[in-house]
Amino acid sequence: MKLSDRVRLDDAVALRPERFGALAYSYRDRQLFFVDHALLPFVESAGGHTLGEIAGDLEAAGKVTKEALPRLLTVLEGLRRRGVLHVL
Amino acid sequence: MYYDALRQGLAAPICLTWELTYACNLLCVHCLSSSGKRAPDELDTTEAKRLLDEWAAMKVFYINVGGGEPMTRPDFFELMEYSIEQGIGVKFSTNGTLLDRRAARWIASTDYLDVQISVDGASPGVNDPIRGEGSFSRARTAMELLAAEGFPFKVNHVVTRRSFQGLDELHAMVTGMGGQLRVTRLRPSGRGKAVWEALKLTQAQNRELYDWLRAHPDVLTGDSFFHLSALGQPLDGLNMCGAGRIVCCVDPRGDVYACPFVLAPEFKAGNVRDSSFGEVWQGSPLFERLRGWEVGGQCRSCGAYDRCHGGCMAVKHFTGVDLDDPDPECVRKPEAGSTATLLPLALKPRAISPRAPAASRTVGSGPQP
Ligand code: SF4
Ligand code: SF4
Repeated sequence: MKLSDRVRLDDAVALRPERFGALAYSYRDRQLFFVDHALLPFVESAGGHTLGEIAGDLEAAGKVTKEALPRLLTVLEGLRRRGVLHVL
Repeated sequence: MYYDALRQGLAAPICLTWELTYACNLLCVHCLSSSGKRAPDELDTTEAKRLLDEWAAMKVFYINVGGGEPMTRPDFFELMEYSIEQGIGVKFSTNGTLLDRRAARWIASTDYLDVQISVDGASPGVNDPIRGEGSFSRARTAMELLAAEGFPFKVNHVVTRRSFQGLDELHAMVTGMGGQLRVTRLRPSGRGKAVWEALKLTQAQNRELYDWLRAHPDVLTGDSFFHLSALGQPLDGLNMCGAGRIVCCVDPRGDVYACPFVLAPEFKAGNVRDSSFGEVWQGSPLFERLRGWEVGGQCRSCGAYDRCHGGCMAVKHFTGVDLDDPDPECVRKPEAGSTATLLPLALKPRAISPRAPAASRTVGSGPQP
C-alpha cells in the first residue's frame, strides 16, 4: 500500500466503536477485525484523503509518529487483502 | 495482543447466545440448559422483537440462536427474518428433527443465516443413547436436505469419551456432504452435570484430540478447547474465557447470564424485562467483576498461562472448583476420576415425540420464500 493511495471500507463491513478503537465485522465472510485508534482515521476515510495526507494530519496532531507508519501501512495492506478495505 | 481489550469487555457482545425457548422435542442427557418443557413466561414475539431492535442499535453483528429447540417456536421464522432485516446475522442450532424441505429452501435462500445441526456420534449406536432414539437419522435427513440445496451447513458435535473414536468418521461424513464440523467440549452444565464424570474425555483422549484438531484446521472449535493449547502451539480461536466480557446468554425468559454454560443464579446479570439489555451488559455488577478478574492461584505461575488463562469458568463452577484454581481438565496436572471408557451408565434420552411437533405446523405457516 502506498501513501498516495485512497482507501474505503467494503460495503459489507460494519464498524462499531470500542474502547481500543473499533471492531470491524464483515458480513461477507463473518470475520471480526480489530481496528486500533491509530488505524481508525485511515479505515474511516472513505476515500476522502490519501493515506499520506491522513498520516500527515495525525503526525501534526501528535497522534502517530513517523516510525509507526510502516506498521500501519502493513496492517492496512492486510485489511485490503482480507477484503475489508479497497484501494480507490 | 487483544487479550486485555477483550478481557475488559466490549461495547456489545460478539458471542451472544439467545436461547429462544426451553421447549424441546428431545431430551438429550447432556443438555446445557436442561431443556424439555416450554417455560410459561418466555418472551413473546413483541418482546423478542424489541430485544432485536436494541441489539441492532448496539451494533450486535450476529447472534447464536439456540434453546431448547428454537424451531418449536411458532414465531421462529418471523423472528429470524426480523433479526436479519435489522442487520443482525443469525446462526441457529437445531436438532434437525423439524427441518423439512421447505425450511431447507428457506435457509439456503436467506442471506446471513447459518444453521448448525447437533450430532453427538458418527452412528445411531453412539448418538442415540445421548440424544434419543431416532435422532441420528432425523439429523442426517436434515443434513441431506441442506446438502441438496447446496447449503454449507455446520454440524456441532459434543465430543465425549464414547464418541471420540468416531471423530474421523463423522468428519468425513460431514465434509463429504459439503458441511463443516464443529467440535464442542462437554461441560457439566444443566443435565450435563450428571453425566460429565462418565462422558468427559480421558486425558489421553484430550491429548489425541489436541493433535487431531491441529491436523484438521477446517474443524471449528469456538472457545471449547483452549485449555488444550497448554499442550503446545495454541489452537485457533479464542484463548480465554469470554464470559460476561464478550460472551453472554439471554434465556427464554429474558434472563441475562454470563455464558450459555452458566445458567445459574450466581451468573445471572439481570433481566431484559426489568432494564434494557444495554444497561445489563454495560452496568451489571457481575459483568463488571468478571471484566476486572483474571484467574489467579497456581495458574499464574504456569508456563502455559498465556495460552490457557486457567480454562473454563463453567466447568470449574459446576464441579465445585474455585474459579481461581486450574480447570478440572487442566492438561498439566494429574488426571482425576475414572478413566474407564465404557462405564455402565444409564442414559435416558427420549425418543422423538410422535405427536406432531409445533413447528411442523410453523414451517407451513411461517414466512416462506
Ligand atoms: S465459562 Fe467456559 S464456555 Fe463460558 S465463556 Fe467461559 S470458557 Fe467459554
Ligand atoms: S495450570 Fe492453569 S493455566 Fe496452566 S494449563 Fe492448567 S489450567 Fe491452564
